[in-house]
Amino acid sequence: MDESLWTFLIESFPKIILPGLKITLPLTAAAFTWAFCIAIVNALIQFANIPVLKQASRLYVWIMRGTPLMIQLYIVFFGLPSVGVVIDPIPSALIVFAMNEGAYCTETIRGCLESVPKGQLEAGYCVGMSYPQTMRRVVLPQALKTAFPSLSNSFICMVKDMSLTASISVAEMFYETQRLLGRTYKTLALYAELAVVYLIFCTVLTLLQRLIERKLGIGQPSKKRWQILGRLAHVRS
Amino acid sequence: MSVLEIRHLKKKFEELEVLPDLSVSIEKGDVVAVIGPSGAGKTTMLRCCNFLEKADGGELTFDGIAHDLRKMKTRDIAAIRKRTAFVFQNYNLFANKTALQNVTEGLIIGRHMNRKKAEEIGRAMLEKVGLSGREDAKPDQLSGGQQQRVAIARAMATDPEIIYFDEPTSALDPELIGEVLSVMRKLAEEGMTMIVVTHEMSFARNVANRILFLVDGQIVEEGAPADFFGNPKTDRAKEFIRGLEDRENAENPQRR
Ligand SMILES: Nc1ncnc2c1ncn2[C@@H]1O[C@H](COP(=O)(O)OP(=O)(O)O)[C@@H](O)[C@H]1O
Ligand SMILES: [Mg+2]
Repeated sequence: MDESLWTFLIESFPKIILPGLKITLPLTAAAFTWAFCIAIVNALIQFANIPVLKQASRLYVWIMRGTPLMIQLYIVFFGLPSVGVVIDPIPSALIVFAMNEGAYCTETIRGCLESVPKGQLEAGYCVGMSYPQTMRRVVLPQALKTAFPSLSNSFICMVKDMSLTASISVAEMFYETQRLLGRTYKTLALYAELAVVYLIFCTVLTLLQRLIERKLGIGQPSKKRWQILGRLAHVRS
Repeated sequence: MSVLEIRHLKKKFEELEVLPDLSVSIEKGDVVAVIGPSGAGKTTMLRCCNFLEKADGGELTFDGIAHDLRKMKTRDIAAIRKRTAFVFQNYNLFANKTALQNVTEGLIIGRHMNRKKAEEIGRAMLEKVGLSGREDAKPDQLSGGQQQRVAIARAMATDPEIIYFDEPTSALDPELIGEVLSVMRKLAEEGMTMIVVTHEMSFARNVANRILFLVDGQIVEEGAPADFFGNPKTDRAKEFIRGLEDRENAENPQRR
C-alpha cells in the first residue's frame, strides 16, 4: 500500500469517528433508553393481562415488527410532511428507532417476565406484598437480569442500524463517510475504514456487556462450563 | 375461639372435583398435621386458605370475621394475607434477594416498617433458625435445608396468626430434613398456630396435636395423634398406617 493512502486513511479517521461519537452513539443511547421504557410498560401491560391496553399493545408490536425500519423512517421523515407534520432528521430518527426497538424489547422483556417462576409472585403475596410491589421488587428485577444479554444484543444492532438514518440526512458516520467519498475515488479503503470503526464500537460495547454480565452474575463461570462440556463429552462417548 | 374456620370449601379444576365439601376449624396454638395420599387435595386446601387458588364456594372465618370465598375483595385478601404466612414445598425464596432481604421484604415493603427495625427482626429470625452469619447469602448459595429455614424465618418475621406449611421437607435430601423439622418443632413449642401438610410421620406423631387425614378431598379421619396412629377407626386410615409401618420397617430392618 502506498504512503499517500495511509496518510489519507489516518487523516479521515477522526472525520469518521467523530460523528460516531457525537451522533451515532448518543442517538442510539437516547433511542434505546426510550425503547426500554416503552418496552417495560408494554411488557407489564401484557404480562398483567390488562384488557384493552393489552390488545393495543399487541397491535403496536405487530405493526412495528411487521414493517421494515427503513420504511418507517421514510414514512415519518418524507411522508408526514405531506400532511403538514414536519420533523427534523434527528428527532425523526429518535422517534422511529425508539418505537421500533421498543416493540422488539417488549417481546424480550415479556418473555423474561413469563420465565420467572410463578412461586416468586405467590411468595410475595404470602409475605403481604401487593402485585405491583412484588413485580417491582422481585419479578421485574429477575426478568431484567435474564433479559440483559438480549437487550445488549439489541443495543449493538441499533448502533449499526443507525447507519440507515444517513438516508434521511442525519449527519452520522455513514453520511459523513459518503461526503468524504465525494472528493476522492478511494471507495473501498474508506468504506473498509468505516466498517473498522463500527467494529471498534461494537467490540467496546461487547466488552462492556461482558463486564456488566459478570457484575450481575450472569452466565456460568468458565470452570463450570468446562465441567458441563466434559459431561456432554462423557454422554456422547 | 378459633383462629381460622373453613366451612363447605369447594374447589374444582376443570372437571376434576378436588375438594367437594371441606370444613375444618383451627384453634389458637393448634399444630395440625394434614396427611393423606398424594393427589388428595392437601396443597389445594392450603392454597385456597391463602387465596393462591380461588375457591368455587365456601366460607372462611378469620379472626371472627366471616368471608364468602367466592366474593373475596382484594382488600380483604391482602389484609388476611398480612396476618398469615406460607411455607412452600420448594421454598420460593426471592431469588434476587439475600437471606436477610428475604426476611425483611415483607416488613419493609408490605408493612412499611423502617429498615433498621426490620433488619433487627430479620437478624433475630435468622438466628432463631440457626442461620446467623448467612444474612448476605443469596438463595442459590444456600443448601435446600438452609433455604427452607430462611423461608420459615421469613414466615415468622411478620408475626402471623397462623403459618401454612406445604410439605416443607419433601424437596429436601434426607440428611437435611432434620434441621428443618427441629426449627418447626421449636416454633410449635412456642405456641405458633400451624397447619402442616407433611409425610413426616415422626412430626405428625410427636409434634402435632391434631391429625387431619385427607383422602379424595374429604376428611376421612380426624383426631389426636395417639388415637389416630394407635387406634384408627376407618379402614382407609388403617390401610394408610399399615402402609407407613411397612415402609418404616423396610427402611429400618434393624428395629425388628
Ligand atoms: N392448577 C391445577 N390445575 C389442574 N389440576 C390441578 C391443579 N392443582 C392441582 N390439581 C389436581 O388436583 C388434585 C389435588 O392436587 P393437590 O392439592 O396438589 O394434592 P396433594 O397436595 O394432596 O398431593 C390432583 O389430582 C392434581 O392433579
Ligand atoms: Mg401437595
